[in-house]
Order: sequence, then structure tokens, then C-alpha cells
Amino acid sequence: MNFLARIQRPLGIITLLALGASTWMVFNAPLDFQQGNSVRILYAHVPSAKMALFCYILLTLSSIVYLWKKNETADILAEAAAPVGAAFTAVTLASGAIWGKPMWGTWWAWDARLTSMLVLLILYMGIMALRNALDEPLKAARATAVLAIIGAVDLPIIHYSVVWWRTLHQPASFGGSSGNPSITGDLLPPLLAMAISFILLGGYLVVLKAREVEAHRQLEQLDVERMEEDD
Amino acid sequence: MLKAVYRIAWKDVVGDLRRRATLSSMLFFSIAVLVVFQAAFEPDRQAATKLLPGLLWATVLFTSLMGLGRVFQAEEENGAFEGLMLASVPRGIIFLGKWLGNLLLTLLVQAMILPLTLILFNVDAWHLIPHIFGVLILGILGLTGLGVLLAAMTQAARSRETLLALLLLPLVAPLLIAGVQATAGVMVPDGQPGPWIRLLLIFDTVYLALAPWGFGWLVEE
Repeated sequence: MNFLARIQRPLGIITLLALGASTWMVFNAPLDFQQGNSVRILYAHVPSAKMALFCYILLTLSSIVYLWKKNETADILAEAAAPVGAAFTAVTLASGAIWGKPMWGTWWAWDARLTSMLVLLILYMGIMALRNALDEPLKAARATAVLAIIGAVDLPIIHYSVVWWRTLHQPASFGGSSGNPSITGDLLPPLLAMAISFILLGGYLVVLKAREVEAHRQLEQLDVERMEEDD
Repeated sequence: MLKAVYRIAWKDVVGDLRRRATLSSMLFFSIAVLVVFQAAFEPDRQAATKLLPGLLWATVLFTSLMGLGRVFQAEEENGAFEGLMLASVPRGIIFLGKWLGNLLLTLLVQAMILPLTLILFNVDAWHLIPHIFGVLILGILGLTGLGVLLAAMTQAARSRETLLALLLLPLVAPLLIAGVQATAGVMVPDGQPGPWIRLLLIFDTVYLALAPWGFGWLVEE
């Protein structure tokens, strides 16, 4: 945990610089022939979608490690990954809707990716709510870990069931939703830069949150000890 | 081992039948849900036939939430959960017992809800009851498997019934999709329920394999 305290500030500065540089690159990239200025939304949308999934992978791995090794750091990481992942999922959904309105003519469609993302958001909320609703820290840690693993198993099933549902039911309404046009030359570097910046940002947020969670737990521990002294 | 599963399930089912706690509240709640649907959609006969799979599964989902909220309630109220955990059988077996009890109660309620739905919505599908009920059984296997695990997860939580609904509804989305599509598939002559029934079976297998193991982690000392 000392390690997190040491890397927090440098990681923050690097993240800020990277975000600044990639934003500059995004606004100097050529515009898409058809999409005009709104294509720039995708530079935030695609990386945050990736981070929404990365955070869930981190959450699942830490949950497995916690259940297996009973390592408290893994539990702190799991607790920190959930809100960060939820935030990225919300950004993905919101930016997608804002892009979808001018491009598809609608804010929302019950497409496989959109539906899985929405379920992912509810799942993150459920994991956070479960941890909040359980008073006993040990029970909360175990219950959220099991729930996270169940969610990890469920997410692919959800995704494929919605894909089946949509393809058997009706052809995909929007070409752009499932068959992304491949990105060419000039648009790629800013997207890569943004992806790297978002990975840094996600890492930085997890570090921040993990330190907060740790401080919170230490406070509660002190509280318990003080109560015991009073008795 | 199997005897322990059966004993736990039997204790729950008999206890519930005697107190009429879960069974009657699930049944009357389902009637209330059906009335709400009727008032909200006002389907005519043709529309009702088309809506039936969705109505049926939404009712199943809501009523089973009621039953799941009570799976561990008796133990919790009487402080008997620790006693149950002290039983000299693996935790997975205890889980299977609780699951079987809930499964039997839920199936009992659904067996009453299905004809009730057909009557209240004026749908002439009596000859299809075995098919529809078969699909319902397949869905309820996985639904109760996942549901009992989530009930164990939330039993000590504050506002646990709300939390249970919040956790269960997104996770059973595939089950709901597959269940509705399979039911619709068996109701029309040229329907194709095959792939959806396969999806239901996948869901059942995954959750019934995963849940006893997850329960073991949850209640570990």
C-alpha cells in the first residue's frame, strides 16, 4: 500500500500530461468525411468502453485472489475498481447516446453491445450496493467477491443471448453498431493516444480510490479500538 | 448426502405449507401482477396471445423474487442459520437442500399461475399447457439456483429485498430473453424454440454448477 502512496502523485501528473497531449491530437486529427465533428466523441467513447471492461476484469481477478488467498489488498483493489468501472461505463453509455443521436437518429437502441453495457452498469451498482448494505466487513468482502465472479460468468451469456435475440428477431438496425468501419491512417494515432491516456486515468483513479478505501478501513479499525478502550 | 438435501428441502416445504407464508403471498401477489398487466395493456384476445410469453415470465420473475426473499428468513429469525451450518454435510449440500425447497415451492405456485393467466387473459392455449410448463420448469431451475445464492448473499444486508431484486434482475436477463422466446416458440405451430431451450439449459447448467460452490465461499468461517 505504501507503493500506491508513492506512485500516486507521479501517476497523476503523467495522466494529466497524457490526457492533455491526446486531446490536442484529437482536435488536430482530420474530420471524418461523413460524421463531421461528432466523430471526435468516439475518441472518448471507445477508450472508456475498453476501460469499463478492464475494470471489471480487474475486479474479477482481485475477487478471485481475495477468495483464494484471503489477501486484504486484493479486496481493497476490488472495492476500488467497482466505482471506477461504473464511472467509465456511464461515460460510455452517455457518450454513445450523444453520438448516436446525430448519427443513428436515436439516443438508444436495444443492440447487443448497448444492452450488455447497460447490464454492466447495473451490475457495478449492485456490487457497490451489496458492499454498502452489509455491515460486517468480512461478509461484505466475500459476498461482493462471489457476486463479481458470478457477474463475470454472466456477462458473456448476456452478450450472446442479446446477439441471438436481435439476429433471430430482426436484422441489426444499424450497420454502425455491430460492424464498425475500420479506422484508417490519420485517425489511428489520436485514438491510440487516447487509449493510453485512459488506461493511465483508470489506473490513477483506482489508486486514488484504493488509498481512500484503505484510509477508511484504518479509521474504522481505530474507532473499534477506541470503543474497546472505553469499555 | 442426498438424504440431507431431501431433508432440508422437505423441512422448508412442509414448514411453509403449514404456515402458508410464502405460498399464499406468492399466489396473491401474482394475481395482483396479472391485474396490473391487464389494466396497463388492456389486451384483446389476439394481443393477449401475443403478449402471453412476456406476461407469464414477468409474473414468474416477480413472484419468485417474493419467494427468494424468504428462503433464509425462517433461519434468520430463529437464529438457526448457524445450526444449519453446523450440519455435518458439505456446504454445497446444504445449498442444494435450500434450492430444492425453493424450487418445489416456486413450481407449485407457477403450476397455479399458468392456468390462472390463461383464464384471466382469455387465451385459448389449454392444449399447450404441458409445453409451456416444460419451458417454465427449465427456466425456473436456473432462476432459483441463482436466486437462492443471491438470497444467501443478501440475507444479512440492510433493505435486502430491494437489493435482491437489484442483483437478480440484470443477471437473469438472458434467462428472461430465452424463456420468453422459447415460450413464444412452442405456442405457434412453426415456432423454433430449439436454440432458446438450449440457452436455458446452458444457463441452468452454469448456475447450478456455480451456485453451491459460491455458497461455500459465502458462509465459510
